[in-house]
Amino acid sequence: MSETGALVSIAQTERAAALRCEGITKAFQGVHAVNGAAFDVPRGLITALIGPNGAGKTTLVNILSGAMSCDSGREFIGETEVTNRPSYKVARLGLMRTFQLSRELGGLTVLENLLVAPAQQAGESIVSVLFRPALVRRQEREHAERALQVLETYGLYPLRDNRARELSGGQKKLLEIARAVMASPKILLLDEPMAGVNPALIERIGGYILDLRSSGVTVLMVEHNLNVVEQICDYVIVLAEGRTLATGRLSELRENAEVVKAYLGEVIDAGTAH
Amino acid sequence: MVYYVFTLVFFLFVYFILAMGLNIQYGETGILNFAYIGFVAIGAYFTGVFSLPNSANTGQHYILGLGLPFPINLLLGGLAAMFFALLVALVTLRRLRTDYLAIVLISLSLVLYDFCNNYVAAFNGADGLYNVPEPFAKALGLTVNSFIPFFACVTAVISLLMWFVMSRLTRAPMGRTFRAIRDDHVVAAALGKNVFWMQLKSMLIGSFYAGIGGGLLIQFGGSFNPTAWLPGETFVVFAVLIVGGAGNNIGMFVGALLVETLLVHLPAFLPEIPGHPGLIEYFDLALVGIVLIVMLWFRPQGVVPERLRRTASFGVDDTDLPVAPQLPFEPAALQLGDGQ
Repeated sequence: MSETGALVSIAQTERAAALRCEGITKAFQGVHAVNGAAFDVPRGLITALIGPNGAGKTTLVNILSGAMSCDSGREFIGETEVTNRPSYKVARLGLMRTFQLSRELGGLTVLENLLVAPAQQAGESIVSVLFRPALVRRQEREHAERALQVLETYGLYPLRDNRARELSGGQKKLLEIARAVMASPKILLLDEPMAGVNPALIERIGGYILDLRSSGVTVLMVEHNLNVVEQICDYVIVLAEGRTLATGRLSELRENAEVVKAYLGEVIDAGTAH
Repeated sequence: MVYYVFTLVFFLFVYFILAMGLNIQYGETGILNFAYIGFVAIGAYFTGVFSLPNSANTGQHYILGLGLPFPINLLLGGLAAMFFALLVALVTLRRLRTDYLAIVLISLSLVLYDFCNNYVAAFNGADGLYNVPEPFAKALGLTVNSFIPFFACVTAVISLLMWFVMSRLTRAPMGRTFRAIRDDHVVAAALGKNVFWMQLKSMLIGSFYAGIGGGLLIQFGGSFNPTAWLPGETFVVFAVLIVGGAGNNIGMFVGALLVETLLVHLPAFLPEIPGHPGLIEYFDLALVGIVLIVMLWFRPQGVVPERLRRTASFGVDDTDLPVAPQLPFEPAALQLGDGQ
């Protein structure tokens, strides 16, 4: 781990952390899926979480978003400790996530999928529904207008009245991101947003993620495609065997023998040696 | 003849109410409440004991005996079912979902059944409650024959009122959040929805409907005992819901008409088959089962399926954009390919 310390971490030098985890561990019946992961996710940047299969990336995303509890360690959103808070409370602090395998709300329309997202809807209370219908209607209209804009941005507008389960795989990927965006997140955890997506759509999704950064959203994305990481991610966290192996810029990590051995190895060999 | 027709009308509207209650729990929120008839019974019993005078004078054994007038007793009966639902939900909903919740609930309904059937001091045991005062009968001078049409109409009015409220609730963002939880509770939680709290709300609303339905049942017949709510009755309400179309309140009316009125109650008025007393009654339930299987096979969405909530229904302009949506960024900004 000596090389790790030598790396200049953007998180420590230039930016405050939007999300921080310290010594997170999680074991499944003795298998340590996450084993002391610790890192800062710098605010306002796109950070990639990379690592070989089985490194614990998805488990970590589940823990960070509150879908799963950790055995030990601490998690902070900004200054607030959120260790093992349930996911709805984490979400209310502005952390939204997407899922590796798209999980659309199949029986709802595409528009309704987005309309579920806004927090604090008056229409979710029985009293408001029955006694303040005008307020509920106004809020619904405002949310619907914004949702239609988001759908337009993500190219889903023509599908607004389709049931979400009728969408194609790529469209579901877009819907996942659009739905999270609709909730006005401060931090977005994207679990393999490009997995199983054709190259043209990868470009589009990459563009959307860059746009989100411009609007001030902090992004942490699990990604295997190093081309994508190189071109849109500002900062990289390498996870191996449940531990943070290294953090830094991809160019810096390429110099790191341990990282190369654990993950980048084949790619660099393929690009240079042969 | 009038008696028969209005009895059918009464059961139609009561099952409309019952199905709406189960619909918000199962059709909208996905809570597989196999103890539903238990909540109906709680509503019925409590409506009864709120209405009956003190048990010292009636020769029956029961709690309370407050002698409250209709509809106060009915409302309290609904609230009693709701309170019971609160207790059940606090214990079960936090930890259990889908199949496991269903198993616990069906067990609970059996326990409740045995309790009411055997513990005489609560609701008169296996004999059940009887001689429950008929609402307004004295005040309006109603006879046995005129009470039935009168009360069928009261029930129809109540059920339409409850349909109005229910359609407001399910059309509101609350209903949408319920359906989001039904479709994927993990996603709903990731979007900041307190799944337990929303499920609790759905459970309470549905149980109130169950309680009111039960209360109307005991007021109509003047009596209620354990043979009226065998745990299998839950599945008749499920049949109403599935045939009508889960997730659609109008569908609940259609389901009640097709299953409860036409299949369950109408044949009871048919002449008996000579030499086989009670055969029709048993054949009824078998028929409900067959219809249920046929529906699930050929039309699982029900006769009146869940409605799609289109863009225009949210009060926004719904015109198609003139051009196909374009990418909001320059694809050239992102050159992917050789990479190295």
